[in-house]
Amino acid sequence: MTPKPPAGHFNILYFASAGSYTSKNVEAFPAPLPLRKLFAMLEERYNGIRKSVLDHSLVTINLNYVDVPADNAEAGPDEVMIQEGDEVAIIPPVSSG
Amino acid sequence: MSAQDGVSRLQDPAEPEAQESFLTEDGCYVALTHAPLNVQSIMDRVRSPQAGAIVLFAGTTRDSFADKSVSKLVYSAYVPRALRTMLDIATEIRAKHNLKSIAMIHRLGEVPVGEESIMIAVSAPHRGPAWRAGEEALEACKAKVEVWKWEEFAEEGGGGGAWRANRDGAVGERVA
Repeated sequence: MTPKPPAGHFNILYFASAGSYTSKNVEAFPAPLPLRKLFAMLEERYNGIRKSVLDHSLVTINLNYVDVPADNAEAGPDEVMIQEGDEVAIIPPVSSG
Repeated sequence: MSAQDGVSRLQDPAEPEAQESFLTEDGCYVALTHAPLNVQSIMDRVRSPQAGAIVLFAGTTRDSFADKSVSKLVYSAYVPRALRTMLDIATEIRAKHNLKSIAMIHRLGEVPVGEESIMIAVSAPHRGPAWRAGEEALEACKAKVEVWKWEEFAEEGGGGGAWRANRDGAVGERVA
């Protein structure tokens, strides 16, 4: 089972190529974070991950798929925020079967 | 409609790798397991006196990808998300083809070459819908279920490995 994130943090789960790129299965980051900043934050920590992994991947928050807005999207009252305790996952193209 | 979920222990209860995680609802059973798959048990899950046909698909692990020789395959999953996706697929296909039952199970961890990695069984009053439903269920699984296959290549110099992607049929990101 995935450990709970520390207080004030959320978890990111890295599957398949995301796990290979980061050498981690799970990592905690400070919450809250606007969803539109997620990829830029990861690119800052893992140089090149955007082009290699994130651009081909889907994202879930608490098991539900979400659309990640462009970096330059306007901050607004409706924007999705990643909250404390959330479980975010990077979902690369699947290869079941 | 009430969904049940849970973890049933197979074989040695002290061995967490032997766990099977499942969801079940209205004639649908979906599961992920680290244990070898069993043809008889998945067929028995869909068996019914009202069915005139059971169609079973067994996907087995191949020893090659394109021209590369594969020495080892390891499957990983986002278990709770993958089970939900499998149940969504099962529910939709069962309704569309008026199936009696559908069961789908995917194996995780290392799967030796030549063994079953996925099994799908469907039962229906007549064989036509059962054939079609079985194929559709498999294609939907391969497109959507959050399971990933790591292939390790048997090549000179170690070979390395790669995450496979079903979407484009291409070899995934190469990791030395």
